[in-house]
Amino acid sequence: MLSIRYLKLWVGGAILALLVVCGVAAPLIAPRDPQAQTLEDRLRPPRWTDNGMQAYFLGTDNLGRDMLSRIVYGSRISLMVGAATVIFAGIVGCTLGAIAGYFGSTADEIVSKISEIFLAFPFLLIAIAIMAFLGQGVGNLIMALMLSRWVQYCRVVRGEVLSLKERDFITAAKALGAKDAYVIFRHVIPNTVASVTVIATFGMAIVIITEASLSFLGLGVPVHIPTWGSMLAEGRSYINRAPWLTIFPGLAIFITVFGINLLGDGLRDIFDPKLRRQR
Amino acid sequence: MKKPSAVTRRQFLKESATLAAGAALGPYFLRNADAASRDRVTIFHSSVADSIHPYNHSSSPIYGNWQHVIEPLIEYDVGRKDYIGVLAESWQFQGNKWAFKLRKGVKFHNGATFTSKDVAFSIEKMRDEKGGSLQAPNFKDVSEVQTPDDYTVVFVTKQPNAVFLDRLDNRFMLSKEAGDKLGDKLFENIVGTGPYKFVSYQRGGNLVFTRNDDYWGGKAAIKEVIFKKVTEDAARLAALESGQADFINNVPDHEVARLKKHPRVRVDQLEGLRMFFLAFNFAFKPWDNKLVRQAANYSVDAAAIVRNIFDGIGYPCNGPVGANVLGADPKHKRYPYDPQKSKQLLAQAGYPNGCDIQLYYSAGRYPKDREVCQVVAAQMVKGGFRVELISQEWALFWDKQGVNGGRLPFYYIGRGSLTDADTLYDQYFRTGTTKRTNYSNAELDKLVEEQQRTPDNKKRVQILQQAGKSIMDEALFIPLYNLADIYGVAKNLEWKKRADEKVKAWDMKIKA
Repeated sequence: MLSIRYLKLWVGGAILALLVVCGVAAPLIAPRDPQAQTLEDRLRPPRWTDNGMQAYFLGTDNLGRDMLSRIVYGSRISLMVGAATVIFAGIVGCTLGAIAGYFGSTADEIVSKISEIFLAFPFLLIAIAIMAFLGQGVGNLIMALMLSRWVQYCRVVRGEVLSLKERDFITAAKALGAKDAYVIFRHVIPNTVASVTVIATFGMAIVIITEASLSFLGLGVPVHIPTWGSMLAEGRSYINRAPWLTIFPGLAIFITVFGINLLGDGLRDIFDPKLRRQR
Repeated sequence: MKKPSAVTRRQFLKESATLAAGAALGPYFLRNADAASRDRVTIFHSSVADSIHPYNHSSSPIYGNWQHVIEPLIEYDVGRKDYIGVLAESWQFQGNKWAFKLRKGVKFHNGATFTSKDVAFSIEKMRDEKGGSLQAPNFKDVSEVQTPDDYTVVFVTKQPNAVFLDRLDNRFMLSKEAGDKLGDKLFENIVGTGPYKFVSYQRGGNLVFTRNDDYWGGKAAIKEVIFKKVTEDAARLAALESGQADFINNVPDHEVARLKKHPRVRVDQLEGLRMFFLAFNFAFKPWDNKLVRQAANYSVDAAAIVRNIFDGIGYPCNGPVGANVLGADPKHKRYPYDPQKSKQLLAQAGYPNGCDIQLYYSAGRYPKDREVCQVVAAQMVKGGFRVELISQEWALFWDKQGVNGGRLPFYYIGRGSLTDADTLYDQYFRTGTTKRTNYSNAELDKLVEEQQRTPDNKKRVQILQQAGKSIMDEALFIPLYNLADIYGVAKNLEWKKRADEKVKAWDMKIKA
């Protein structure tokens, strides 16, 4: 399992695991309260630079809050929002996609039309509109992102199901008297897991970036919860004077998305039947 | 066969592209080399004019732009805290009448003489809301404009109105003769009496003026003025640093230190007229309790906010209004920062374990508002409050659902162009004027109404100071600070700094 073929999977997985640990154990890892303001120490550069202070490893922000602690706590929101969105959007999207593909006709018409409406709007625009309507908050954010992401799963699963339902084992199951619900959940959906896992990992990366974008636009979570996106937004006006305010949250987003994409790539390599045959 | 001397298509395209690029970029480099030339000044401004209709706005910087061409009867001088005559020479307040004697020998740009008929004509245009004017409310209690002779104008008001001069400030005079001749097209070619003549207006907000050599107040030093509307701070700054602009407004305070090191640029700053404060709504608990309001006042450290968030470029208020406002009293003192005292007062008020409050603001409306409110929240937590910060879209925040419907219990707000304490007291603390605080106190109402009827400015100031004292004693709000107006100016350009956000090119000079 440690062959070079799985390198992407291992590196990506390791980065994600590290982030999960970071998020879960944030109170233990973060050296300070991410909210504690020390106005006298505002805009201190990272420790290793000339004006850096021992106490602040990555420096302080415009209100004198510890950058490292804020980034550690910020991972919580990114991961929580990313994971929750992917799970909920996956459940909704897969179920609707499977129903549409399996039953066809009217059910397919309705689901397809709804998903086409959602597809007609740019993804971020839907999220902005929903956030503006619902207001700030973590729950609302997950809701907005889920509503704008479920279509992806729905389309892919519907396509897969369309070809699956013509396969002999499905016909066999039906011939043995299996009910529709049993066929869908026992035979159809398990066979779409491979592709859904791949979309889900890539989707999570996109969701994390969208969360950052929404927070950057001031539509994300309330101002007192540190997130990478809102840190970028607040640091933007200080980019000449205190570049570390934007560099570190930017790096955090970059590394996370990079790790998740590697993981997704690795998973695809494993699931892809063409690549599997080459082994 | 190809003739050797013929120009190939590719060559032709190449050369014409080079020429076109040269033609497009040439003037840019020329301007660069020649910043603040003797004849012309280029001003990049965040708000120039939203339409060519000179009465279709009510915004201080835009008044300043139009004042190059059209002039008011009187003008408020922030430095002197008094009104000075522009097209009017003198004025008198008698009962429900305001009589103005006009300046003689003033000519419009079309050669016509300025008389009282032009004043009556202009006021009529300003009151024409259907015609696009946004300045009509200033004359809502004027019942008649009389012109007994060419150089006298009398405004008759429904009630005696001592603050009428404030309403007449920034009301500019157009030529009746031009109006009669041009009819509907009056606003396509503005004719006034000002130091500059109107040349052109471009949609999007660029104005070009050229000098009026026959100006009654003496010829301006600079021949041509270009106002260019650039709303993005960074773009204005870049234009100034590259020499494209000679003058910009609203330099962000965190760029000041860097800009000061620039070889060709100077930073001019002065105390602005927008006062920031935290307002309580008395319809909501716990703000109906004086002890809680005092506790809140003790818990907020305005000086620390100015020092740390605005890099010290700001002026904490020492009373209910800034020091540059008519009605300010040097004897007023703000509540000192004392979180312990705040906790004591809260305990006395029945909140020994702290008090839950919500602080509303509209992120992005005012400079660094997010940061300010986060600091205020942290400070108030130390003073025993538990603060929830809520940011709303401006429209929601400001309209009937928010501040102006009396729906927000506690909010961060700025009041612009504040030259007279009356404006603030009337708007926020007088019964029924607005719902912004839902405050009602018959004694304070009496003081506010009394000063509005008092013609003698000294007496008025005394009454305003008395009202201010009661506002501070009752802790009706938390005054914070005035910020600075910060301008970036080419080093060879001289001008008179003004607190009213107006930029006047006729006060500018170019050093050799």
